[in-house]
Amino acid sequence: MTVIDTPGRLDAGGRPRRRGELRRSSARLGWGFASPALLVIAAVMIFPIVFSIVMSFSHVNVTGNGFQLSGVTGRNYSILFGSPRYWHDLEFTVIYTLCTVVVEMILGTLIALVLERLTAARGWLMALLLMPWALITVVSADLWAYVYNGVYGVFDAIFNAVGVHDLNVLGTPTQAAIAMGVADVWKTTPFVAIMVLAGLVMLPGEVVEAARIDGANGWTIFWKVRLPLLRPALAVAVMFRILQAFGLFDLPYVLTHGGPGTSTESLALLGYRVLFNDLEFGPGAAVAASTAVIVLVVCLLFLKVFRTQVGEQED
Amino acid sequence: MRNRNKPRIAALAAATAAVLALGTACSSSSGAPSVPKATGSASGTITWFANQFGPTTSDVRKTLISDFEKAYPNIKVNLVQAPSDSDTYRSTLVTQISGGSSSFDVYNGDVVWPAQFGKQNLALPLNSYFDSAYWNTFSKGLVSSLTYQNQTYAVPLFTDNAFLFYRKDLLAQAHLPVPTTWEQVQSEAETLQKDNLVKYGFAGQFDAYEGLTCDWTEFAADAGADSVNAGGTASTIDSAAAQKALTYMRGLITSGVAPKAITTFQEQQSETLFTSGQDAFLRNWTYAYADSNSPGTSKVVGKVGVTNLPTFAGQSGPGYSVTGGWNLYINPHSKNIAADVAFLKWMTGTQAQTVIAEQGGEIPTVASVLDDPQVQASNPAYPIAAKNKLNARPSYVAQYSQISEAIYNNVNAALSGSASPQAALSAANSQINTALSSNGL
Repeated sequence: MTVIDTPGRLDAGGRPRRRGELRRSSARLGWGFASPALLVIAAVMIFPIVFSIVMSFSHVNVTGNGFQLSGVTGRNYSILFGSPRYWHDLEFTVIYTLCTVVVEMILGTLIALVLERLTAARGWLMALLLMPWALITVVSADLWAYVYNGVYGVFDAIFNAVGVHDLNVLGTPTQAAIAMGVADVWKTTPFVAIMVLAGLVMLPGEVVEAARIDGANGWTIFWKVRLPLLRPALAVAVMFRILQAFGLFDLPYVLTHGGPGTSTESLALLGYRVLFNDLEFGPGAAVAASTAVIVLVVCLLFLKVFRTQVGEQED
Repeated sequence: MRNRNKPRIAALAAATAAVLALGTACSSSSGAPSVPKATGSASGTITWFANQFGPTTSDVRKTLISDFEKAYPNIKVNLVQAPSDSDTYRSTLVTQISGGSSSFDVYNGDVVWPAQFGKQNLALPLNSYFDSAYWNTFSKGLVSSLTYQNQTYAVPLFTDNAFLFYRKDLLAQAHLPVPTTWEQVQSEAETLQKDNLVKYGFAGQFDAYEGLTCDWTEFAADAGADSVNAGGTASTIDSAAAQKALTYMRGLITSGVAPKAITTFQEQQSETLFTSGQDAFLRNWTYAYADSNSPGTSKVVGKVGVTNLPTFAGQSGPGYSVTGGWNLYINPHSKNIAADVAFLKWMTGTQAQTVIAEQGGEIPTVASVLDDPQVQASNPAYPIAAKNKLNARPSYVAQYSQISEAIYNNVNAALSGSASPQAALSAANSQINTALSSNGL
């Protein structure tokens, strides 16, 4: 927007009509250039989302010629909301998202603060840190499955050595959930660290210097100066993490299969099972659509709160 | 900001309305499916979407194709590799077929899919292409499991049974007989463990997945229980007999006969425990015999015996084995049905079934081939398979997938100790009934 505005502002001196024309024509030009990309986005993102919303409100049949949607119905949602399994999976996904994102943010920020101090080894350490992040989750989940394995796993061996025998990490509900959280934190903390580090590097040095001259100690500088200035970087990291954690699928799919029972089943895994194992396309679409709505609302709320805070800060 | 947003929201709403309209338009164009005729002589090229089966060293699918092309010189068969994981494979099939793809003509599919695929029109109904003489060539009980609402949706390619694999050497050392009851398995395992001959007594597939439904169905059938009534209208899982079976299974874990981690075991983990020499008894499928005798990966080569699964004391043996295996289905969008039918017919004929049995190591579905003494001699499991009492999972119900989920999720919860056997069975009962009334997830 700023780029488009600039030429208009340059001729602002008493020629308002021309400014309006210019703006309009460059807006047209902008839309013209952007339209191929917008069409692609509409085809691959908006259409599937809207289609699954439509599907979630229809009776769905698969015929020899593809999907047949008929009528408008609330049945898919009444099935969903009447199912204790849905509420359990929603609760699990929310708690899991909250816990892992909080832990990852704290650890990631700490790591970023350490990395910022380092100069010589920073590049190497960052490369090393990014390895878990670069690993495909399916692969790392399989590696963790070996670690947690109840017969020959490393974890079991360590606990055996200190006298705790026959631990069954993946076969016990709470332990399985924590085990999954640990694997998640291991993988995604580096991402948070990199995002926060980028924010730290961009901080204006003069502000910190000024605070120091005014006699603030390290703690005060961190809490009152650096952390508030870091907020945009933190917000972006939190957003990305919430979006990803809420769509949790590959970890439980590979590591726990949602078990024991359905205790570690996430919403995404539920949607997959209802859609592709049970072939219940209506309720499956309802799982997908309701999850999308929840994520959207959470992100909008988050952005709103964040914008207000930044606004206050700027005033 | 606020004012500028308004037209955008209006535009978005308009776009949404347009797509909604488009969605409805799409839906009205599709009509009822009709069964295409297999007209003309069978010729041309067809594509077979198949996962690997048989030994990994040689691809029996390629042998079958080249033999078929010799018998039908006018038909060429392309082999396309399918995912090996059953659930992943099903998602691929559902996405492709429901999207109208004709990129493959014939596909391999699990034995528990016919009702579900029939209901969702993902497989071509076959009654008009094969006569009753053809269906009568298969072993007893196989064809009924392919039928949904009087239509048959697949032909059986090969079948699989479960067996009890045991350590001959350990039983001899402890002077114990080969067990014929589950109680005997438990007590003999405890003896072997007490004598420090082996670390664990029993391994099976107790993870929360389809394999547990198989194991459960066997234990339950041995105790005299089943999960769904014959009409497929109501759950029967909450019974005293079912509780006996589940309590026994849980007892295997609490007594230390089975490792605690068995509640996370699928076929591979249970087999690894056995072939690494840490386990005395193993419930597994036919291939475990060959695997445990392959020197590269097994530490128990030559020490493994195979027998029918045991039953509970007081019941007539042997115990039940569920039927596993794979079928051949035709893609309803296939453009060369005549060639597809010729391929299905040949694959379930004597020549192909003999190749599958002798080179593929899989149990043939055609009764006369399984009875052939030469075939029986080719694998020590086949004569035992001929004596197996078979029990199908309730896959004649279109909601089988939900029923199986209700079984394995709750049974797994009870096995891992997070629910009592009674509570687990009552939860499974209500979930199965909800699934049968199509009123829940």
